[in-house]
Amino acid sequence: MKPLNLLALLLFLAGTVYVFTWSERTVRKIQETYYATISPFLKGGSKLELATRRFLKEVEHSEDLEKRLEVIELEFGKLRAIESQFRELERENRELRANLDFKERTRFDVVPARIIKRRPSTWLQSVTIDRGGKSGIGTQVPVLANGGLAGKVDQVFPNTDIATVILLTDESCQVSVQVAGTPEVGIVSGQRGAYGEEPRLRLRYLSKNAPIRPGMSVVTTGRGKLFPPNILVGTIESFEPGPVDSEALVKPSVDFVNLEIVFVISESGAPREGPLEE
Amino acid sequence: MIPYHICVLGLMGAAFILQQFVPAVGGLYDARILLVPLVFLCSAVTVNVPPMLFLAFFCGFMWDAQHLLGSHGGAEDVYTNKVETMPFGYSIVLYAAMGFLMQGIQPLFREGKWHVSALLTGVAIFCYLFAEYFIITFVRGDLVVTRSLALKTGFSALLTMVFSPLVFWVLFKCAALFRYKVRYEGLKSRRRLIVSE
Repeated sequence: MKPLNLLALLLFLAGTVYVFTWSERTVRKIQETYYATISPFLKGGSKLELATRRFLKEVEHSEDLEKRLEVIELEFGKLRAIESQFRELERENRELRANLDFKERTRFDVVPARIIKRRPSTWLQSVTIDRGGKSGIGTQVPVLANGGLAGKVDQVFPNTDIATVILLTDESCQVSVQVAGTPEVGIVSGQRGAYGEEPRLRLRYLSKNAPIRPGMSVVTTGRGKLFPPNILVGTIESFEPGPVDSEALVKPSVDFVNLEIVFVISESGAPREGPLEE
Repeated sequence: MIPYHICVLGLMGAAFILQQFVPAVGGLYDARILLVPLVFLCSAVTVNVPPMLFLAFFCGFMWDAQHLLGSHGGAEDVYTNKVETMPFGYSIVLYAAMGFLMQGIQPLFREGKWHVSALLTGVAIFCYLFAEYFIITFVRGDLVVTRSLALKTGFSALLTMVFSPLVFWVLFKCAALFRYKVRYEGLKSRRRLIVSE
């Protein structure tokens, strides 16, 4: 090996070992600087992605209309096209109303946030949202969506309007839950190695002969200091008894495929008086 | 020589920004074009070992700054089996390994056979993704290998590889602009000399 290459390799190894020794605080500082730098691009990317999705929806819709035009008159087809545009607006309106309604009926103080980047990483199920330290969001706080629990805030960058949320469908987002109507408690998390499918959650550490049936609701217990109690997580889809403990597959109550708006529980975290969101 | 390396570093920075605009393709098992590893791999074959190592350090560092998760949090008595987070810096090692893989076929590249390098970028991306997944598995335990995982990895490698000629074209343009010799050096000229003797 050439002396220069050897020297470069030694310097590289020394640098890498030095990086490995960094504390979590130092790493957070670096990540904060990184996200502060790329935040304008993230927002730009989000706008582009949104425009693309809208365009694709439009294309999909046009194809549908073409099929219908084969069986109905041309004029009627045109009217249907206009009607479908109204439908799209109506759907959007309904969605927004549902989100607004969710915010009103939830018992927590929440900060609504829009997802600006989906799955930024290869193996993690996470999203980036357009609310951060400026909006008073803290780390490790629960994130809700229309339907129930969506995940928790992983990182917040103080002087930005950006935060990353680890979704419930990731294996590193563990939640202490209870099967409603039973004393059964366990830990629910996402599954590793499941991609491009409708996500399912894995509920572990249930007792061997747990009286669990498909369709039963799964809610948070409030234990473990991360998630408040009685937030809907999903419903039992299947139950697999094991020799020591049992596992169940849970269908999440939140539609993660079409997730666009989430609600971050504000740092005060105090629940308001009122009904549960489920 | 130095202006070309600065240009490559600039391209890496641009790749990091452009990567923010590349979404995962839901229909292809969440596969995505990995622009940053692609630009790194293509650049790695055009430079010598010291700049390649510097690029590996830069890319791995930035990659981890973007993707690493924070600690789990929560009470220890409830969350007894917490999922381990990856150490900051592991990507630096992975990038260096990929870089050395690309350096291995540098003689062929210097003969002008860039298409071999283009194919190898796909192979390297595939190896990189699998290595990353197995490191995660090693750290967290429970070996899980599924069909969707293999398809995601395969499609990501394939999608990324398709764009490698474009990146090589940009690198060749940059090399021409800064009069940096990437091709027609080394083995090819030496062989010609031997034949003529």
